[in-house]
Amino acid sequence: MSVALQSEAIDVAAEYAQLVGDSPGAAVATFTGYVRDHSDQHAVTKLELEHYPEMARKVLEDLGHSAAERFGLRSWRIVHRFGQLAVLDTIVWVGAVADHRGEAISACELMMDTLKTDAPFWKREQGPAGEQWVASRDSDTERRARWQSGEAQ
Amino acid sequence: MVSGGVKITIKLFSALREALGESEFQLDLSDTSEASAPVDVASIKKQLSQRGAEWKEALNQPNLVHALNHKVVFTDAVVTEGDELAFFPPMTGG
Repeated sequence: MSVALQSEAIDVAAEYAQLVGDSPGAAVATFTGYVRDHSDQHAVTKLELEHYPEMARKVLEDLGHSAAERFGLRSWRIVHRFGQLAVLDTIVWVGAVADHRGEAISACELMMDTLKTDAPFWKREQGPAGEQWVASRDSDTERRARWQSGEAQ
Repeated sequence: MVSGGVKITIKLFSALREALGESEFQLDLSDTSEASAPVDVASIKKQLSQRGAEWKEALNQPNLVHALNHKVVFTDAVVTEGDELAFFPPMTGG
C-alpha cells in the first residue's frame, strides 16, 4: 500500500514479487505503461517527465487509498517515473491484490484513469520534429469522468 | 486586515514555468489585499497578471489548473500566510 516516485527504471518483476509477497490474495492485477514511439502527429524518440513531487505523492497516495476502499483491496502499489525517458522505457506501474479478479482489474483501471488527469506530471516529447509539451486528451478526461458518474464500477 | 510581510510560495510548472522563466518565488500578500477582504486565488492571479503581458496571458488560459497546498482548487479558494499556491497546465502523466 504505497507510492514510489523515481527516476530509475521500474523493476516490474521485483514490484510484483513485493506486492504479492506482502499481501497474498486470490486475484492480482497489474498494469505497466511504456513510452510510445509516436504521438498523435509525430515520431517520438525521448520523453521528459516533469512533476510536482509533494503534490504527486499526495494525489497518488489518496488515489491508492480510495481504490482500496472502493474495491476492498488487500494491497496496492503505484510507481511513477520522472526525468528523462527513452522509447519503450517503463513509465508507470500499478498493482492491486483482491479476493476476486473484477475488483483487482477495476482497481488498476481506476488508478490509471485517475492518475493520468489528476497526478501532477507533464510530458515533453522529443523527436525529429522537435520538442513539445504533450496536450491533455479529451479521451483521458472522459475515462476519468466515468468513475465519478458511476458509469464505470 | 492583512498586515505587511505575509508571504506565500508560488510555484509554476511545465509550459507555464517555461513561458514565465520562474519556477518558485515568494509573494507578499499585503501587496494583493487593499481591503479587509480575504485574499483568494483570483486576486493573486490578478496581481501576478500585472507583471506583464506574458503573465496575463499565461495565468488567464481557460484550462489553467490551480493547486493550493497540493490540492486542486477553484479561484475562490482563500489563501493565507505560509500557503503554497501552484499554477500549471492540465496534467499529462501515466
